[in-house]
Amino acid sequence: MSPQRVRRASRELARQPLETLGSVTGVQSAVLFSADGFEIAAHAADSAAARRLAAIGSSLAALGSAISAEAGLHEFERSTIESKDGSVTIMRVEGEQAMSLAVVAGRNALLGQLLWATRQCCQELARLIHQ
Amino acid sequence: MSALGGGEFKIVFTGPMGAGKTSAIAAVSEVTPVATEVANSDLISHTKASTTVGLDFGHITLADGQVVRLYGTPGQARFRFMWEILGRGAAGVIVLLDATQPGALVQMDLFVDAFLPLVPPGAIVIGLGRTTLPGALGSDAFAARLDARGLLVPVFSIDARQPRDVFLLVRTLACILEAQALPEVAA
Repeated sequence: MSPQRVRRASRELARQPLETLGSVTGVQSAVLFSADGFEIAAHAADSAAARRLAAIGSSLAALGSAISAEAGLHEFERSTIESKDGSVTIMRVEGEQAMSLAVVAGRNALLGQLLWATRQCCQELARLIHQ
Repeated sequence: MSALGGGEFKIVFTGPMGAGKTSAIAAVSEVTPVATEVANSDLISHTKASTTVGLDFGHITLADGQVVRLYGTPGQARFRFMWEILGRGAAGVIVLLDATQPGALVQMDLFVDAFLPLVPPGAIVIGLGRTTLPGALGSDAFAARLDARGLLVPVFSIDARQPRDVFLLVRTLACILEAQALPEVAA
């Protein structure tokens, strides 16, 4: 299947898991993107914001992989950028098609709950997209 | 101490997707380069299998002992934020282009315009790849375009996989920087 068809099919499949993630306290938006920075599906992010988050998120995921390899660690799985006002988590979606999920959350989010919900979402995305 | 004012400096390799930035750094770096290549899913823009989405990094030591840190940017415009991040603090930029691409002149303008504000005046060198292939634009066309804009920028035909060619670009840029650092001689 061509990358474009994979992206189209994945967009439909991702809708429900992203909506579920969007209901978690503090989650403001979420974008699923390809390893080379194309947005696949978004929740509560307009197309311009999703496009930018996808590009920056893919760079961060690639840098995460590079620094993991440099440190002799296994493959990149997750990175959380924290600020006074909230956080952005980038998490890899397992599977043949390299993808990651970026989740923007406000400071009212509980980090543990957020990370757990993000992992659940990524596992569900991997199951739906790669089954 | 060098006229560049320090033992190390940073230069950036930029240019569109498929121009040879990752190859150029890999060709000359003294260490295994840091690369952030991932599978390319945009086969319409370019048929290459992988593409850089973060940065490339390597380094070389020049004959005078200067260490040059080499950074490569992603080529697609959606990664423009990385151009600005990597351009900060750069002593100069090497723009690599594929001379067989129909839009190569416009691409040159895009990258020159993006990096002119980020590097010292005149600290730009152009490396043209694939100039011997059918349909390639000659280096004169690129030089004329720069000249028409009032920019004095060296243009070289190169093979980004060849260390000799990449060193030529780096040394040229180092010479420009050295010349700029020299005190002006009174007429």
